[in-house]
Amino acid sequence: MRLKFWGVRGSIPAPGPETNRYGGNTSCVSIATASGGLVIIDMGTGLMHLGNSLLGGPFGKGQGKAAILLSHTHWDHIQGLGFFAPVFIPGNQFTLWGPGGSDGVLESILEGQMDPNFSPLQTLKNFSANFEVRAVKCGATFETDGLQIVAREHAHGGTTALAFRITEEERGAEGRKKVFVYASDVGYPETGPDAEAIAHYADADVLLHDTTYKPEDQATRRNRGFSSYEEAVAAGIAARAKRLVTFHYDQDYSDDDVDAIIARCRELAAPSGMEIVPAAEGEEIDI
Amino acid sequence: MKVRFWGVRGSIPVPGRTTNRYGGNTSCVEVRPRNGSPIVIDAGTGIRRLGKSLMEERFRDGKGEVSILISHTHWDHVQGLPFFSPMYRAGNEINIFARQRDMHLEAVFSAQHDAPYFPVPLSAMQATTSFHEIVEGAEFQIGDAWVSSARLNHPWIAIAYRIDVDRASVIYCADTAPFSDMLFGREFVVAPPSGTLSPSMREELHAMRAGVVALAKDADLLIYDTQFTPEEYKIRPHWGHSRPDDAIEIARDAKVKQLCLFHHAPMRSDDDNDKILAHYQNVVHQANDRFTITSAYEGLEIALGDG
Repeated sequence: MRLKFWGVRGSIPAPGPETNRYGGNTSCVSIATASGGLVIIDMGTGLMHLGNSLLGGPFGKGQGKAAILLSHTHWDHIQGLGFFAPVFIPGNQFTLWGPGGSDGVLESILEGQMDPNFSPLQTLKNFSANFEVRAVKCGATFETDGLQIVAREHAHGGTTALAFRITEEERGAEGRKKVFVYASDVGYPETGPDAEAIAHYADADVLLHDTTYKPEDQATRRNRGFSSYEEAVAAGIAARAKRLVTFHYDQDYSDDDVDAIIARCRELAAPSGMEIVPAAEGEEIDI
Repeated sequence: MKVRFWGVRGSIPVPGRTTNRYGGNTSCVEVRPRNGSPIVIDAGTGIRRLGKSLMEERFRDGKGEVSILISHTHWDHVQGLPFFSPMYRAGNEINIFARQRDMHLEAVFSAQHDAPYFPVPLSAMQATTSFHEIVEGAEFQIGDAWVSSARLNHPWIAIAYRIDVDRASVIYCADTAPFSDMLFGREFVVAPPSGTLSPSMREELHAMRAGVVALAKDADLLIYDTQFTPEEYKIRPHWGHSRPDDAIEIARDAKVKQLCLFHHAPMRSDDDNDKILAHYQNVVHQANDRFTITSAYEGLEIALGDG
């Protein structure tokens, strides 16, 4: 698996010189799989730039195929969809897996974004590509592009989001299956993650975890359902993750603020040996 | 009055190094009369920073009043509202004006704040928010300011606003297509139109253009949707946006004093915006036009009339 970050920001895009280094686009991560597939996680504004980068390949000719994993349907995780150029090219095929008990309800939620009051697209049916929506229940396991994926629902403020544990079937050089966990928009109780959450992250080669807040900012906003970087590091250490990717930075944090968060994460993680890797737009990670 | 730009971008916010100078936030313009409350036009992501700046004034104490004029409810013109800090402070008064829709405006705007899209419902925001439904042609007063309006040529209909106050006038004209090739209404248009317009459509477009020229008559500042270059417009006449050439023709016919290019395309870099501005400044110079051209960027402030 090779990860690439297209959007790493939480809540709302944050343009400006002070976010140039880590990036101001909302959540979007791509996985190039060993089998040659493309899996996209979340559809924030970063998705537009991923889409534009794909047009030079099969997606530009209507011969592209990708899976999309959606953690939840808050704006900052879906607002790039209407600007994802490959969906307007006939022949491309997308299968989206997202939270819910019914394919139709999930599709209608995505369709709500295209409502004519808000978007000239009016409906998902105006996509030219084939766009299939599949609802995933908590604990569901499914496979795509040589990846085995387990979706676990966690609390996120007044709602829930899915964390994806992704295992690549092909064994790495050392004969072991590689594991990537995507856990964004995670709101733990004050007692921290429960055993089930830690089991979901256990022994990940890379754990991407919500690090929206500094602890002092989280203290006044715990009801919003985001993690502090301290909680993320503690969860990573408890789960024996090899690398922790920081992600979903608050829209008001400058690059310098994020630098300070990363430095603090490294101090906290040092005794455990867990490596801290900051998510930044355009950066890639090999697993 | 002072006119200040907080978001100048069309379609979608575009953070990154290539947009640092003009800015990557979607549409939001503040009009500040010398006396009285601020008037905001459109609530794209630029309104987030405007909200923070207002919270340094009486809005922090819940004693602020602001009017927000919405050109239309496409995302890039409303998506900043859930992040507008004054709405989270009890006592503040927010008056939102927008064109009548099939549903009550409160229902339209609530949809953006509700689950499963956003965690804080509109009804839970502490400020007192009122919705005022208008139709194109409406005229009304906000404090000392006089607001008038006209219909634009855009999918699902947008309206232009004129604000007269402090012996000066500003027109906000976004989003609109030219009034020549297509008449936008409620249909989804998948491709550029083929064939010619019917006489009735031509007549309607002619009247719509005349309405915009009349609205902009002798204005001090005309802010205009110029998302496309002429080359881009040829491919996308069905997207509902104009070229600087269209804005210049309106500026000439209305005899405005200053034209401001606005609603820049998301992938337009700062350097490209510089080149477009330089090109059209030259066009206006060569034609001996009496107005000046600027291009909107975040933080640009233009003082008009009695300041």
